Amino acid sequence: MTVPDLAPDAVGDTERPIEPDWPKRLRWILMLVIGLPFVWGILGLELSWGAIGRAPGQIWGLLGGLLPPDWSEIAESFNKLLESIYVAWIASIIGAFFSFPLGFMAATNMAPNWMTGPVRALLSGIRAFPELVLAIVLIPAFGLGPFTGVLAIGIHSIGTLGKLTSEVIEGVDPGPIEAIKATGGTRFQAMRFGVVPQAMPNILAYWLYRFEINIRASAVLGMIGAGGIGAEIVGRLRFRDDWPKAGAALILTIVVVLIIDAISAGIRRRIIAGHPGTGPVSRTLGTIVGDITPPVAEIQEA
Amino acid sequence: MIEFKNASVVYPNGFKALEDVSLTINDGEFVVVVGLSGAGKSTLLRAINGFVPVVEGSCNVNGQEVVGAKPAELRALRSDVGMIFQTFNLVNRSTVMNNVLMGRLAAVSRWKSMFGLWPAEDKELALRALERVGIVEKAYVRATNLSGGQQQRVGIARALAQEPKVILADEPVASLDPVTSHIVMRDLKKINEDLGITTLINLHFLDLARQYGQRLIGLRAGKLVYDGNINDVNDEIFRQIYGRAITPDDMLQDA
Amino acid sequence: MTIADDPIVTQRPTEPPRSAKYVLLIVAAVVVSIPFGVLDLDSASRGAIYGAIAYVMLLMLGTTSQPTQRSGLIDLVSLVVAGAVGLKLYIAPIAARTTVITWRLSLRASLGWFLFGVVVGWVVYRNRKGTNPSAIVLIGLAFAGAAFLALQAGTDVGYLESISNRAIKRGEFQNIEQVFHVWVGLIVLGVGLAVTTSFVLGNAVVISVTAAVVFTMLAFNKIQFSVFEMFSRATQVTTLVDKLWPPDFTWSKSIGQPETFVLWQPYVETLRIAVVGATTGVFLAVPLAFSASRLTTPNATVYWIAKSTMNLIRTIPDLFWGILFAAAVGFGSPFPGALAMIMFSVAIMGKLLSETIDAIDPGPLEAAKSTGASHWQMVKSAAFPQVVPHYVAYGLYIFELNVRASVILGFIGAGGIGRLLDERRNFFQWDQVMAIVLVIFVTVILIEIVSIWVRRRIV
Repeated sequence: MTVPDLAPDAVGDTERPIEPDWPKRLRWILMLVIGLPFVWGILGLELSWGAIGRAPGQIWGLLGGLLPPDWSEIAESFNKLLESIYVAWIASIIGAFFSFPLGFMAATNMAPNWMTGPVRALLSGIRAFPELVLAIVLIPAFGLGPFTGVLAIGIHSIGTLGKLTSEVIEGVDPGPIEAIKATGGTRFQAMRFGVVPQAMPNILAYWLYRFEINIRASAVLGMIGAGGIGAEIVGRLRFRDDWPKAGAALILTIVVVLIIDAISAGIRRRIIAGHPGTGPVSRTLGTIVGDITPPVAEIQEA
Repeated sequence: MIEFKNASVVYPNGFKALEDVSLTINDGEFVVVVGLSGAGKSTLLRAINGFVPVVEGSCNVNGQEVVGAKPAELRALRSDVGMIFQTFNLVNRSTVMNNVLMGRLAAVSRWKSMFGLWPAEDKELALRALERVGIVEKAYVRATNLSGGQQQRVGIARALAQEPKVILADEPVASLDPVTSHIVMRDLKKINEDLGITTLINLHFLDLARQYGQRLIGLRAGKLVYDGNINDVNDEIFRQIYGRAITPDDMLQDA
Repeated sequence: MTIADDPIVTQRPTEPPRSAKYVLLIVAAVVVSIPFGVLDLDSASRGAIYGAIAYVMLLMLGTTSQPTQRSGLIDLVSLVVAGAVGLKLYIAPIAARTTVITWRLSLRASLGWFLFGVVVGWVVYRNRKGTNPSAIVLIGLAFAGAAFLALQAGTDVGYLESISNRAIKRGEFQNIEQVFHVWVGLIVLGVGLAVTTSFVLGNAVVISVTAAVVFTMLAFNKIQFSVFEMFSRATQVTTLVDKLWPPDFTWSKSIGQPETFVLWQPYVETLRIAVVGATTGVFLAVPLAFSASRLTTPNATVYWIAKSTMNLIRTIPDLFWGILFAAAVGFGSPFPGALAMIMFSVAIMGKLLSETIDAIDPGPLEAAKSTGASHWQMVKSAAFPQVVPHYVAYGLYIFELNVRASVILGFIGAGGIGRLLDERRNFFQWDQVMAIVLVIFVTVILIEIVSIWVRRRIV
């Protein structure tokens, strides 16, 4: 194919810029930066082709052991799952309760620098510990059980929620704060009436989101003996005969967690939008029960 | 009465926003402040309620000295001075009523207001403020569902709910279209006439200033260059304030 | 003159229901939940949870209504009649039961409550202008559902038996039937009335806060966790410090490995797992993310498959993946850990990236399409460049998360430093545990600092 002559007079006359070569070099550097550690990592993983070759068969065997699920003791599993959910819920409440003031203390537009610095360091320090590691550290004093689970997940939640809260607060419109100060309001009133109404929907959404994550964390904590669905599943995996029951518990967990996620996501969307949402849950409900009733404002205008 | 005596404002970066301004505004006056952007219009208004500190000279509002006032004194002063903003500064997610009630914050009990428990008389006051600006029917609608003009009227109602002696309006119509601009200006003028509240307004448009103002204050580069009756303003004075002749851009409508 | 002297000239809107009712409702919720708490009714709480879920679903309807002026006599009469008929319908199957209550029996018994609920719904509909007609059926279903679940729950594992015996011993009731009916009645009325109030008030905030309060009380009761306990056990922190401090970094000597720092090998293993998991997962997530975004998905089927795959992977916690793979390729080696981390990374990157793609400017996509590009050409040339900075930032973030997550894989035999942590814990060597924890802490913090620094330079 020949190149069509778009500008016959200009060819050869104009000085063309030289194509920069840094994108190519960057590509090489990136490949090295990612590729070398990858190779280094792979080499230490004790891979054997035999194991990889057997893996699909093993997984198939595993699934075959779990399926078909045995639903005979599902009521018990369900109680254990509820226990995990309770732990997650209380941990989320603890996280929300303590992270709220910390979020204000870590927001640069609310607190002075001498305060935001240490509070931020504290929050990221907390976040550095995975829930499981926190739980282990707490065991010598509090033993194993839901109490330790609640504390470990709750403390970790304070770290993550505190950071997210402070980010939301830093993003609020400063106008209303100024307006409240102009009416003679105090600093505290400016927070209560200027910041909280603006930031609360997003903060609430994060609380709910954290609850979703905490359910998973609490299930995981069960595996080291803190009770709940994690212990239930691990316990049932010990004996091959119990595997179908573990399969049932696993399916139950997945389904319940997905349902909670969907409901929670629906509420989150609704909170942030400030009106009945258009998400899948609201839509489904809408098609089942007809029109979604309009919010207060529209009724009053009619 | 508002009294500036040789007042100067210098920002932390060294910019002189107000230089040696002396000015007396009597109770009940309706004053329009004009000037190029950066001439110190906003600074002048914000010096009155202590949002920007006067570094030299003095600024006295109704007998209270703003310079060197303690935080509690400053809050007491601000509770007598309502402010209206170019960007309305409403809490969009709160209802109109809650936005207006914020004007009562300095007057009500701290603890009750924390829980949103407003005394009946304060609610009554807020509703009357909304009636003043003609949007009481929107009282329980979220602020975000209102048009720009309606939002600015909520802003005015919030200032009115303070039962202020002075209203400062910082470019109140700069974000509005011509029709709503006139409604808002009419409201402000009527409030000034009916209730006798001293009103200071920053304006960009000269024709609006002519139509509604009595006294005109012209600022240029932080200095007071004109202070007098608005009807005496001629092209020469205009050139003093703006450093150039009038163009259609300085008018809201090409009349 | 001030505005306080203004005459009232306009028609004022009525204030929507607010704080007073809201506070009352919370008090009511607490009162309703007291029997659940005091009587330690395991299955009752289960019933309440179903109620709470129903509740949360209903609040999405956002019903708003206003009172109408109607005669109350018809309401009263119909409620009484429905109550009597409903009670009869409910009692009959239970009284006629031979041994246990089957689910068919429960279904028949809850029919009575359904009738009652429907009439309650109808009364609400009649009296509140703006109520959604579906309220009639939904309130009926709420009553019936609560009754069914309460009956079913009461039949299993003998909870009812023990509670009843205790209550009868205390002299509160004569026989088991009484306890049973009071108990079912409480649950059904609690849940049913809660749902009904939600339709009457129609205030989502009121409903959700109440639901949250009830659920919280339940949760505290169920796992025997109280705020008082939290404070009383706060003193145990001193025990904690005693046992954990000072950390012991020198135990390698005591187990006969003087030359090598015993932490080093599992530590490196953890890092390897994190690196391989992050890099592989981040690459694998790309096609999935582009298929799971409405803007760049080739068609609805692929979209649906990609989206549900992502959701499925995300639902299963990383540790479960670890167990699955450890069972498949053998416990004790780091390989299953890396596989689990790949799943973990794919899930997070898939979600973050697909949401970012949803938010990109669709203009370039259209432009690319108009030049006749194929679908994936369009994605590569018009969509991908828009998300590259985010992609890199997410990649680093995922590496951070991977380091944290891979620490715990050793607990289930998937390799890494977690194995050591678990082992030292089982020997009650808390000072050694603390040493490992400190090493993890420093690593995580260092990686976070570097990652934040790089991210700031990219985005």
